[in-house]
Amino acid sequence: MKLRTKLTLFNAISKLVIVTLFVLLLPVLIRSINKTFTDSRLRKQKDKVLQKIKSQGIRFYIPPGESDYSAYTPINDVYVSVEEDSLAGYLDTIEDGKRKIEGDTIQYRILSHDFRADDKKYLLEIGISQDSVNERTAPLQSIAFVILVGMIILTIAADQLYSDYVLRPLGRIIKTKLIGQKFPNFGTYKKVETSTSDFQYLDISIHKMIRTIESTFQKEREFISNASHELMTPISILQSKIENMFEEEAISDEVKIRLLEMQRILNRLKSITKTLLLISQIENDQFLREDSIHISTLLQEVYDEISIRLQDKNITCNIVIAEDWLLVNINKFLLYNLFFNLINNAIKYNKEGGEIRVNVLKENEQFVVKITDTGIGISTDDLPYIFNRFKKLRQSLQQESFGLGLPIVRSIADFHHIKIEVESEKGVGSTFKLIFSPELIG
Amino acid sequence: MIIEDEKALARELEIFLTNYNYVCDVCFNGTSASEKVAVNLYDFILIDLGLPDYDGLDLLKEAKKSNTEAAYIILTARAEINDRIKGLDMGADDYLAKPFSLLELQSRMQAITRRKFGLKNNVVPLGDFLVNLTERTIAFGDEVISAITKKEFDLVAYLILHKNRTVTRNQLSEHIWGSIVNDDYDSNYIDAHIKNIRKKLNAYASADWLETVRGLGYKVRINS
Repeated sequence: MKLRTKLTLFNAISKLVIVTLFVLLLPVLIRSINKTFTDSRLRKQKDKVLQKIKSQGIRFYIPPGESDYSAYTPINDVYVSVEEDSLAGYLDTIEDGKRKIEGDTIQYRILSHDFRADDKKYLLEIGISQDSVNERTAPLQSIAFVILVGMIILTIAADQLYSDYVLRPLGRIIKTKLIGQKFPNFGTYKKVETSTSDFQYLDISIHKMIRTIESTFQKEREFISNASHELMTPISILQSKIENMFEEEAISDEVKIRLLEMQRILNRLKSITKTLLLISQIENDQFLREDSIHISTLLQEVYDEISIRLQDKNITCNIVIAEDWLLVNINKFLLYNLFFNLINNAIKYNKEGGEIRVNVLKENEQFVVKITDTGIGISTDDLPYIFNRFKKLRQSLQQESFGLGLPIVRSIADFHHIKIEVESEKGVGSTFKLIFSPELIG
Repeated sequence: MIIEDEKALARELEIFLTNYNYVCDVCFNGTSASEKVAVNLYDFILIDLGLPDYDGLDLLKEAKKSNTEAAYIILTARAEINDRIKGLDMGADDYLAKPFSLLELQSRMQAITRRKFGLKNNVVPLGDFLVNLTERTIAFGDEVISAITKKEFDLVAYLILHKNRTVTRNQLSEHIWGSIVNDDYDSNYIDAHIKNIRKKLNAYASADWLETVRGLGYKVRINS
């Protein structure tokens, strides 16, 4: 999941939790606020009543001869009653209770207060209907809910916009520095504009790392290129000397055989050097890609060249071309070598009387060449390393090779943006699958 | 004319070419070479591109002015693809990347000679066969043996070029597979090719002129 999505999601969820909690708590809150409010109203009412009695006497409420007073205001759902109280002790409480007023039993918040006037004890009761209080809670709750949800949506949108803005440099770093970079060619450095110091640091660190990798690669390539060039001249001198000595009449056949062995060893040195040089030339982009050839023609040429090698082990080689394509923008010399090496390997690591199949086909809209052999196969553990230089995994067969065949194949394939997939089962055989990108097909 | 700053290599080239009846002049640097090419006329000029005091391509341009008829072969250890194109563009006749086989050099020189002097009907009689080096065919009487492949003909032609000398398997494989880069130490497939050639020729007549030199290589014997 993307960082931005995660942040937004977290924001939304946390806000939702808080708001839900708040909305759930709202009735309790409102009730307690209402209670405080009602109580203070009751007390004010009480003070007013007592004030009246004090200034105008109890007669204001209870005329002589009567024993109680009660008044009810339906608008406010308030009732006031004063009556003589015969109970002992003085009450001064506010409590919830039910009273029957005009035939209805209603839940009231009731203030009870005993006071003395004219040597008599009276009980003052003031009640405020709870229903009217509760009636107000529900709309309040829904209004609060609507307002809060609105606010949440607003803040989420704001968060989204801001995180978008703040994280944009990160996205740009990922897009320009990491995705789609063809290792080890990273191209030129472009600073990502950002005021966030963490991103600046990240950007510069990635850049530094890329530089280091690039320069190491560059050094390695230069080294291989220079070393192979420098080796060419001494090898050339040795080769000429051996060849000239070989032609001398005075030298016995026995010495000539030894000279031949020397030449063979020198040849080995020469092949390794030439191969390394070729790989470094490919990696340094010194080849042009402007040839075009039909895949069938190319494979036929390779076959003509290599068929002599099939005889030794009685191997049959079938080239099946389901669909012929014209390869364009390729280097023929290099592709020739790629197929030569792959088929050569298929021969080298094959069994006596084995089989090689070369299939040219279109698979899932992809241009595919499959080279399948019935050879000794590659173990799963070794598969990741087969393209490494000088890695000789298939030692068991005592093949005379120095482990540069597949590295050449890999370099040539990379140079042409050809994807290689390898499937292999030990003892059964291997399949090398080349997937040509559409730009190579004319 | 051999222009090569590696003295040991220049010396071997001289020995080899002298053996093949060429008369050689050797220069170890560009300055003396440029003086020599200005006054002498040569048939072949071999130029090493990596001279310490001279750009080999400049020397080529300079030499072409005075030695217009000469054939130029560039020798180089730099093996840059661009060098090859540039060299051939500037009028070099051939290009050999070091390290090269001396036999290969000689065969290139022969090819240039054949091209320059337009040798036609370059037919070599071998036993009961006629080898036509221009048309690249081997014939028995009037019948061209079509079974012989291009590779097989290359082998025979190379042996004919170096007739009466033992050519090693290495030299042969370098000639016919030189441009293929693979990771075999050593290819014994020359033997298989020779076997095939013999089989195809023996169907017509004995091909005893194609000799195996035990342990060393092959030879085409031509009695002159």
